[in-house]
Amino acid sequence: MSIEIRSVSKQFGSFNALREVSLTVPSGELVALLGPSGSGKTTLLRIIAGLESPDRGSILFNGREATDRHVRERQVGFVFQHYALFRHMTVFENVAFGLRVKPRGSRPSKGEIREKVEGLLKLVQLESLAGRYPAQLSGGQRQRVALARALAVEPQVLLLDEPFGALDAKVRLELRRWLRRLHDEIHVTSVFVTHDQEEALEVADRVVVMNEGRIEQQGTPEEVYDRPSNPFVYNFLGNVNLFHGRVHAGAARIGEISIDLPEYRATENSPAVAYVRPYDIEISRIRQNPEEIEAEVRHIQGAGAVARLELERLDTSEPVEAELTRERHRELGLRQGEKVFIRPRNLRVFVEDYQI
Amino acid sequence: MQTDKTLDRNVAGRTAGRGLTEPAPVRWGLTIVALLFLGLFLFVPLASVFAQALEKGWGAYLEAIREPDALSSVRLTLIAAAVSVPLNLLFGVAAAWGIAKFDFPGKSILITLIDLPFSVSPVISGLIYVLMFGLQGWLGPWLDSHNIKIIFAVPGIILATIFVTFPFVARELIPLMQAQGKEEEEAALVLGANGLQTFLRVTLPNIRWGILYGVILCNARAMGEFGAVSVVSGHIRGATNTIPLHVEILYNEYNYVAAFAVASLLALLALVTLAAKSLVEWRMRGEPM
Repeated sequence: MSIEIRSVSKQFGSFNALREVSLTVPSGELVALLGPSGSGKTTLLRIIAGLESPDRGSILFNGREATDRHVRERQVGFVFQHYALFRHMTVFENVAFGLRVKPRGSRPSKGEIREKVEGLLKLVQLESLAGRYPAQLSGGQRQRVALARALAVEPQVLLLDEPFGALDAKVRLELRRWLRRLHDEIHVTSVFVTHDQEEALEVADRVVVMNEGRIEQQGTPEEVYDRPSNPFVYNFLGNVNLFHGRVHAGAARIGEISIDLPEYRATENSPAVAYVRPYDIEISRIRQNPEEIEAEVRHIQGAGAVARLELERLDTSEPVEAELTRERHRELGLRQGEKVFIRPRNLRVFVEDYQI
Repeated sequence: MQTDKTLDRNVAGRTAGRGLTEPAPVRWGLTIVALLFLGLFLFVPLASVFAQALEKGWGAYLEAIREPDALSSVRLTLIAAAVSVPLNLLFGVAAAWGIAKFDFPGKSILITLIDLPFSVSPVISGLIYVLMFGLQGWLGPWLDSHNIKIIFAVPGIILATIFVTFPFVARELIPLMQAQGKEEEEAALVLGANGLQTFLRVTLPNIRWGILYGVILCNARAMGEFGAVSVVSGHIRGATNTIPLHVEILYNEYNYVAAFAVASLLALLALVTLAAKSLVEWRMRGEPM
């Protein structure tokens, strides 16, 4: 089922949780709503579920108006951040709940319910824990019970609020891969909320970056990561270095570096900020051309797939973060306190609010 | 929330640690003072109730309890409790449900109003009913012309009991339900349950021990209430006397054995209540909150 959100706004007191948000989720896609806390992502999710109603705007399911449809009739599955499992029911009863409360006419028989619940528990690999109570389960197990419970009613849309937020790092990694595989298997339109960019980029087909009640950018993980449309997205998705400079008559000048920006031929001497990812910082021992900036190595963190370096520019004392491959790191053999020359590649320049 | 709990535990741990450093004489001294105080003000009076009641043997004790006026007072007390406890249970659950799960204007005023019977002297609450329903009261003439008797009759006693006991269930449930939040109810709704199913299958089971606890306290107060009931009762023997009122009358007549015999019924009720309360508290602790 496709979801369409048309200029939805929501206010809590004087706080604007959502401002004129429009978004389309095509059928069968797995979409991540990514943003810092207070960006409105959870509110948007709850509005899609019908747990919250928008002040303005409308929600359409499969092209049909659903704004005023009761949460009961929306056929959505919702996985709560803290799972909200029924604490007085066993795992089996939790999963069976949605089937047991169906109106008499459409309620499956006892045998059908048993079969269905057992099938779901198998899907989430919890067959052996059917008789346990939620308090006797680990976080990851509770999460999977919550998911099985939501899937039991065969929802048209699956909504997950920070599905991995309360889990420790290792379980989180396993569960999100598992969720991705599950989605590839059952193909139900899914929306999940997260503040973890890595999670969004790894799991989702499409990432919607939100900030202060607005959508900043949406696209495939590659699109939003490689071509952020504004400084917020750049900052939020991964680490960045900032280089201050000016744009004048179609060219940006960042230190000694000059970049052609033909679109801004008319711009007169405006302040600009250039963003560079840490892995786009080149480091050398000897100056190879005048564009390079002299810096001092402050800290080296060599464990892991890449070596992370903290540097300090000698001209402005601003910190710069760099990432080197293991080979390059070994080749250079840098030590703390050494003077080096750095050169940013793939600079992305933003003038005031405009992207170039 | 989790961090809060951990913090609390840390603070508690530190305080306990500091407490252990107190010298032994201080610890023993404090314990003995507390026990002496309890003994003097609780155990001795309680024991003396039973001692006085049985002063002239079991025969006199049973006779005092089996006397028609005594039996009538027991019956009236049971009726008053049997009506007021279920009503306050309904009211308490409804009020707690509304307050804990929904936001509406005037919520804090409602919470304050629920506490009113705790802050008003029971005698005053009795008087309020006399002023409303008594012959000289606002509704008195109308009630009289329709031949409805409330004051100095059973309905008045029930009304006064309801008023005095109505905070118990609500007060017990509001913090419990607020702590549980409304996520489970939301989960039930999303899964397709209607309001009644959500209430019966999710909300009610989560608060059942809280309800029982509230009901036990409410019942104890309903049976033991003296002040408010005394004002509206009129002390008609065999008709409008509850157990506490009957005890007072017997005592004023210097009929000590009978007075203490009937009083021992209330004391027994208190002991049963205490046992039931501890049992429920123990069960509540076992429940995942």
